[in-house]
Amino acid sequence: MTRAALTPEMWQPLAANPTALAEGSSPQATRGFWAGVRSRLFRHRSAMAGLVFIIFLVLAAIFGPMVSPYSYFEQNLELSNLPPAYRAYTVDADTEVFVNRSNLSLYRVDDQGGLSALLRPDSRDMINRQSTWQIGDKAVVLDYGQRPPVLTINGEVAQSGGLSINARNPFGTDQLGRDVLVRQMYGARISLLVAAAAVLTNFVIGVIYGGISGLLGGRVDAVMMRFVEIVATIPLTLYVILMMVVLQSGLLSVVLAIGTVYWVDMARVVRGQILTLKGQDYVAAARTMGASTSRILFKHLLPNAFGPILVTLTMLIPSAIFIESFMSFIGLGVTPPQASWGTLTSEAVETLRAYPYQLLFPAVAISLTMLAFNFLGDGLRDALDPRLSS
Amino acid sequence: MTAPLLSLRDLRTEYRTDRGTVQAVRGVDLTLYRGEILGLVGESGSGKSVTCMSILKLLKRGGHITSGSADYDGTDLLRLSEGQLSRVRGDKIGVVFQDPMSALNPTMTVGRQVEEVLLQHRKISKKDARARAIELFKLVRIPSAETRIDNYPHEFSGGMRQRVMIAIALACDPDLLIADEPTTALDVTIQRQILALLKELRDRLGMAIILVTHDLGVIAETADRVMVLYGGQIMEEARVADLFEAPQHPYTRGLLAAIPDPRQSGGALTPVPGSPPDMRNPPSGCPFAPRCPKAMAICLTPPDLYGAGDALHLRPAQRTRCWLADPAVPAELMEAT
Amino acid sequence: MNSASRMPLAWLAQRVLMMLVTLLAVITLTFALMHAVPGGPFVSEKMLAPEIEAALNAKFGLDQPVWRQYLSYLWGVVQFDLGPSFKYPGVSVNSMIAEGLAVTAQTGLLAIICVVALGVPMGIVAALNRGRWPDTLAMFVASLGIAVPSYVIATVSLYVFALRLGWTPAFGLDDWRGYILPVFALSGFWMSFVARLTRSSLLETMGQDYIMTARAKGLPAHTVMLRHGLRNSMIPVVTVLGPVVANLLTGSFVIEQIFALPGIGRHFVLSITNRDYTAIMGITIFYAAFLMLMILIVDLLYLWLDPRISYGDRK
Repeated sequence: MTRAALTPEMWQPLAANPTALAEGSSPQATRGFWAGVRSRLFRHRSAMAGLVFIIFLVLAAIFGPMVSPYSYFEQNLELSNLPPAYRAYTVDADTEVFVNRSNLSLYRVDDQGGLSALLRPDSRDMINRQSTWQIGDKAVVLDYGQRPPVLTINGEVAQSGGLSINARNPFGTDQLGRDVLVRQMYGARISLLVAAAAVLTNFVIGVIYGGISGLLGGRVDAVMMRFVEIVATIPLTLYVILMMVVLQSGLLSVVLAIGTVYWVDMARVVRGQILTLKGQDYVAAARTMGASTSRILFKHLLPNAFGPILVTLTMLIPSAIFIESFMSFIGLGVTPPQASWGTLTSEAVETLRAYPYQLLFPAVAISLTMLAFNFLGDGLRDALDPRLSS
Repeated sequence: MTAPLLSLRDLRTEYRTDRGTVQAVRGVDLTLYRGEILGLVGESGSGKSVTCMSILKLLKRGGHITSGSADYDGTDLLRLSEGQLSRVRGDKIGVVFQDPMSALNPTMTVGRQVEEVLLQHRKISKKDARARAIELFKLVRIPSAETRIDNYPHEFSGGMRQRVMIAIALACDPDLLIADEPTTALDVTIQRQILALLKELRDRLGMAIILVTHDLGVIAETADRVMVLYGGQIMEEARVADLFEAPQHPYTRGLLAAIPDPRQSGGALTPVPGSPPDMRNPPSGCPFAPRCPKAMAICLTPPDLYGAGDALHLRPAQRTRCWLADPAVPAELMEAT
Repeated sequence: MNSASRMPLAWLAQRVLMMLVTLLAVITLTFALMHAVPGGPFVSEKMLAPEIEAALNAKFGLDQPVWRQYLSYLWGVVQFDLGPSFKYPGVSVNSMIAEGLAVTAQTGLLAIICVVALGVPMGIVAALNRGRWPDTLAMFVASLGIAVPSYVIATVSLYVFALRLGWTPAFGLDDWRGYILPVFALSGFWMSFVARLTRSSLLETMGQDYIMTARAKGLPAHTVMLRHGLRNSMIPVVTVLGPVVANLLTGSFVIEQIFALPGIGRHFVLSITNRDYTAIMGITIFYAAFLMLMILIVDLLYLWLDPRISYGDRK
């Protein structure tokens, strides 16, 4: 091995050269726990996508119905079941019409490109299955003896134009002529409201119940957990349904039913955390210094159990949203005219054959929302688990 | 001297993690003779466990051997395929792991876990495998072997479980037993029993043992030869008696000084001041320099592993990786040994 | 600590006792709830003549004090008699359950088979290909399956496969194709859940020390995986099978409605909309009893899978 000549100064002690020594040998920089969690969460791409979607949803739920020119309950039977996008027929220079082939109606396209007026036929021939409109000097005939119905203008089969967006109701209208967009946003409001209420009640009840059970331990704990065990044997959905039978249908009842039942998981998680933490030294230290039980609970135990509680809460949100929409879907949730994603879906199912696209919006909305909360919950759990990062 | 059973040359092993690549082993040479107990000692993270697990490529996820050879009975183990290696593992080379609580499958009777190795490597019937398992249980001194064989691991104490592990490792009469901290998870009295058992089994069966530990007391009691690892490199290698009588490397001296009586097992190594280097970015010179009381300017350049020919005060078979053993070291720095 | 204490007889007796207590609690709770309905069961009917209402009340024992009603109901349940339906004269709740049981049990059983037979392999494939495309694909599908509510899966697949493509019937179970969509919609969530659980459990198990031991024994990779990895990783999967059964039951409420299947779930939802209180009560109790039986079976399965658990001496 060749090497540089050794000079006497190389044998001098190296005590006074801390930078040279520190090179490469620094132990891992210690960051705050929560700073680490935040940075891990921010790097979790799907969790961030979920978070962005949730923020967007919250904004739409709060401000959407305020900004919209329509209300969720305002009906307009003349403009029912209109699509979000349509192909128009040009009748003359300033008249374009849209044919709804499912209900055989003709609508005028307004200047903004919205479907805003129903055109009543001037004559109907029930025997030949034809409706006739007189628009300007042209006779517009819809022949629904054929399948699909054929539109003729002055005897010629009309050619439709390209696809354009319904500017009046970008998501279309439902069977009562209500604006689907505003009902969707209202549905988001209901879902988020239920989620918030569920989170709040479950947090309070679950943390108190689980906290007391874990902290007191012994016989009290045994009895309290037996009770939880009994409650948890039956699916929570069944309880909620039974509660809804007793309570009058409606938003408040849904919140109440979910709130009184869904704390079970939270109580278990909190108790488990408390039991683990209770065995740790700093709690024993606090006890020997004479701290009271409630002080130990709130100052020492809960802050440390916060991570798992947070994950449980995030996971609770989608299940609360799901149960509300589920109840509303089978007709036990919010009452008409209130719109929830569950009622919107079940209304869409009624018109599934004629207007299948009506299913799209509530189905996509609830699925995306569930996905977003699940992604956020997964990301949070990963971020809170330091084992995964080492 | 006879040909070595195993000779490891320039072994380098890395672990790729999402926080960077850890250079766990950085060029370790190791020679092992038949019937010999070689101790590998070092702090956690020194590369001692990774070194011996690399021999059979038993690496955890992310681990890669980047270079080196492991000549065992004329074959280079590091060049074998996974299938070829599995014929060596458990048959010619047995392994005992650190924690007998987690190293046994909790849902399988201990008997089946022993029989499994036999059925894998030997053409014997299930009945014979069972008989051999009972025999092995007796060999490792598990009382009432005939009934205990049908128990599950959780029904054994820690020391008994480690005996089960040893029975598994010895099932096929291996020439080499790798024992990775076999006593660390046990309490002191049990430790001594297990070490005595290993030594006795070596005397009876004649296999070589690589004994990994962080406890110099264990080395003093059990090993014939010892290698001190630090920062993924060998710091010092010597016969056990020589190491305790004439330690050369400042790190070895620090370790020895930390134990009031080196013959007493259970001495902790932590009292050497400072903490081990970050192996994602190891020091360019001697890895111990940042903690070394004798660090010199030259220590920022990597020292060689000097043998007895390089420095007069080194004993035969003793090697050390320290500039103080360089022939060019100024006389005033030379110490009486 | 010997294997004799794993004989679960004492444990079994304790569990059965516990089940009976829980069942009593459920009966009491549903009874109380149904009697807490404001106004009584016949209020929603159009104005009944007082004498008719009195006759009806007498027929259903509603003129008796509540505690007597409760006791006689309880006595009925003990004899496996859930009483008559409020809404359908001459129909007993027992016969309603008996009528729907076959349909619900068939779809439910098929759904469980799907959950296990598709969810577990999906998780294994994902775990074996960790970080590569089969993993990414399987976990993407599983994320969707967990997020999309069962009624959305049901309605969308109904539209696409039955109405649009015509591959399956839109309702009924007249031939085998009729089962596909209901079972798919019913099992979608839990299939995905089990796939994710299997994946993470298998990955965790494969990182255990005893897997390294198995490799050190010289066992081939697939033996290590199947003999040592899979069985241990199935323990958490088995624990969720109890909740799976429970949720398949509640899931059947909406699935049977959407696909017009004459199962118990449909009867239950109909009873709710009809305010058929005895039917609601009876079906709830039936569900509770059935579920507890299932959970007991799962516990026994668990006992067999994990020898560390000795139910004999619970702490």
